[in-house]
Amino acid sequence: MVRFLKSPLPFIIILKALIVKPVSRMQEACTCFGSAYKKAEYGNLYIHSKMRRFRKQQAFEIASNSVFFTFKKLFFKFLSLRFTDIMTDRIYSGGICMKKNVLTILLAVAVLAGFITGCSKNTGTSAVPKASASKVTLRLCWWGNQTRNDLTQQAVNLYMKNNPDITIETEFTDWSGYWDKLSTMASGGKLPDIIQMDYAYISQFQQSSQLADLSRFMKDGTIDISKIPESVIDSGSINGTCYALSLGSNAPMMIYDEDTIAKAGVQIPIQPTIDQVYELGKNIYAKTGVKTYYDGGVNMVQIVARAHGSHFYNEIMAGKTDSVKEHMGNVARFAKAKFSISPDLLTEKNPDVVESKPIVDQTTWNDFTYSNQFISISKTAGRKLGICMYPVPSAAQEKSEFLKPSMFFSIAESSQNKAAAAKFLNWFTNSQEANDVLMGERGVPVNSDIAAIMRTKVDAVTGQVFDYVAAVSNVAVTIDPPNPAGSGEVEALLKSTVEKIRYGDISAEKATSGFVSNAKNILTEAAK
Amino acid sequence: MLEETVLKQIRSIPGNKKTLGQMMNREGVAGYVFILPFLVGFFAFIIVPMLLSFGFSFTRYNILGKPSFTALENYRTMFFSDPKFWKTFGITLYYVLFSVPLRLIMALAVAVLLVKSSKLSGFYRAVFYLPSIIGSSVAVAILWKRIFASNGVLNALLGVIGFHTETAWLGRPFTAMWSLILLAVWQFGSSMLIFLSGLKQIPVSLYESATIDGASGMRRFFRITLPMLTPTIFFNLINQIINGFMAFTQSYIITQGKPKDMTLFYTVYMYQNSFTYGKLGYGCAMAWFMVLFVGAVTLLLFVTQNKWVYYEAERK
Repeated sequence: MVRFLKSPLPFIIILKALIVKPVSRMQEACTCFGSAYKKAEYGNLYIHSKMRRFRKQQAFEIASNSVFFTFKKLFFKFLSLRFTDIMTDRIYSGGICMKKNVLTILLAVAVLAGFITGCSKNTGTSAVPKASASKVTLRLCWWGNQTRNDLTQQAVNLYMKNNPDITIETEFTDWSGYWDKLSTMASGGKLPDIIQMDYAYISQFQQSSQLADLSRFMKDGTIDISKIPESVIDSGSINGTCYALSLGSNAPMMIYDEDTIAKAGVQIPIQPTIDQVYELGKNIYAKTGVKTYYDGGVNMVQIVARAHGSHFYNEIMAGKTDSVKEHMGNVARFAKAKFSISPDLLTEKNPDVVESKPIVDQTTWNDFTYSNQFISISKTAGRKLGICMYPVPSAAQEKSEFLKPSMFFSIAESSQNKAAAAKFLNWFTNSQEANDVLMGERGVPVNSDIAAIMRTKVDAVTGQVFDYVAAVSNVAVTIDPPNPAGSGEVEALLKSTVEKIRYGDISAEKATSGFVSNAKNILTEAAK
Repeated sequence: MLEETVLKQIRSIPGNKKTLGQMMNREGVAGYVFILPFLVGFFAFIIVPMLLSFGFSFTRYNILGKPSFTALENYRTMFFSDPKFWKTFGITLYYVLFSVPLRLIMALAVAVLLVKSSKLSGFYRAVFYLPSIIGSSVAVAILWKRIFASNGVLNALLGVIGFHTETAWLGRPFTAMWSLILLAVWQFGSSMLIFLSGLKQIPVSLYESATIDGASGMRRFFRITLPMLTPTIFFNLINQIINGFMAFTQSYIITQGKPKDMTLFYTVYMYQNSFTYGKLGYGCAMAWFMVLFVGAVTLLLFVTQNKWVYYEAERK
């Protein structure tokens, strides 16, 4: 065992013991038959003189016996290949004569060939696009859930039926695996032609010139934008050039449990203030015992900053603490309140995950989310949920609600078929038949005509979302610019800082100054 | 005749002495050809990526763009201006320090119980090994989450024996950490199997003579079993320490590092840096620090082994 541990190549020993050794033993057995046969027939040192009289058949018996013994030896050796044996065993060598060795190598080559062809078969079908003059193959890639995968695949099949000269290969994963996969593909120069893109990642991908210019296709009419609001095109544009086409509008929202509200006998205004939420929480807890959740995350602090006419990341870069200070103060105020969900329970019912959100099992009466998650939260909760806008500071100078593109389609700069991809994008956003299949699953359609028709076709819960997005679009102001590089780390920092306040480890003031200086460091570091 | 003379002539040329057949007939060649599929994979997916990551650890690299050389910048940041790095390192150390010895004790205890052969011993071994097979899977992580939830199995059981509680075990730093350690201890199967084989190697004669001399069961365990088992313990210890430092799923799925990053393992922070925060170069530097640290710990154990590991063969 010690020898094994000290040996530089223990895995080779194990492999040899498991594969090479039995195989060579078997060959030994085969030749053993031949030599034993000869020995038995002609006689030599090992065989008693009387045996010389044995006829060929008896010689055969002896030979097969010796083979049997070799196999038996091998068999028991194999059985007794216990852990320690493998480790102390030395690499088997010797006992193989030349001819057998050639055979061994032939065998090995056959194994290797099988291995290689097995590999190449796998990659051959998926990675290499079929090059054909008339037929165009596009690759389409998105993140999502089972509903989205099914609907998108249906839409793609419909498109391929209508356009027989186009083949679309689809790939999908869930959100968390998607970006790892995409960045790996990007570094290999093998991005799919059409990529589902998110607002948080668009600047990162554009900066490393992975995304194709879509404005070109909008100008030449391949993508019809006559029915799409300008703000929607702007949301996918960087420095006046559009790199991503929004697939649906999304808006931040606070959701509440209708049952609890009715029991408590309170009314939720469509645009509550933070102070109102505080009072509501107090009332509801007194009457029903249901607790309140206050969002300490980046969405809330962005809303606070917007209400004062600035942007969260701009403030951080400027080293200003105003909005962060107000936000941390609010978090601390809610954390101290009796009606708030306790920090350990909140940790367990992680509101980042739809399935475990505290509103789902009525631990809290409210929660915070984006409109395109509303349908799945309603489904998980199995109850009627109400919608209102994100709470704003009482002293708000400006409106802070905004419409956010739920997700985009982008075309990869490396794509060989940009025009065909653009044509598909146009069909996906502007055609009635595509949207009849997609049913607004990616958010309210950006084409206003289509959105109006779709409103009459969707079910009650989706209708709630359509109505809410329509209501927000009346008051919405332009969204914050795409997150700067390093925003992911800043969000993580904000989360853990807010947690510390909730657990009572630090005061809001201390948290503010620490957070702002650290966040600024992260952003400047990332911008390098 | 002619052929032979030609062959002789060819062989007489210096450097051309061996034919291909002879080359291939050399000992070991067949073995290497056989393990070639493994070697190809080993080099392509382990050695080359390792070397690449070593190179990337000296760069600023976000996967999407091109890496730019920054010399020791990543290492400087790591050691001097990233408190979270030391925090996660400390947390992982804490985890290893408690989970590894506890797991080994558990494994040894169960192995001693199972070493007596009975009709069902094979069945029991399989059952006790099960948690290790499914151990690092996401499903078990989610199961663990449900067990320790405020309305989960543990609190229900406590309720049955009279302790009514709604503690969110995963919501408090101390209990969250210990629920992860408990999960690690529960997965003692592979160490247990190695202990089992080690126990069977101990000569029965030792026990027999000890019994004749009147040694009690306890005494036999501490005087015979434990010393004879030290090489196995040593092997398990090293294996488990390395595994412990590599723990990822538990922290990533069960607690996501919460609360307050108190269960954020080193590997998870490394993953976040590499893929979520787009600092792959920094992630690689972190990975290499871990490689060196685990290497140093292993080396230390090897150096100290002749103080406590007993090898029958090398009696001094």
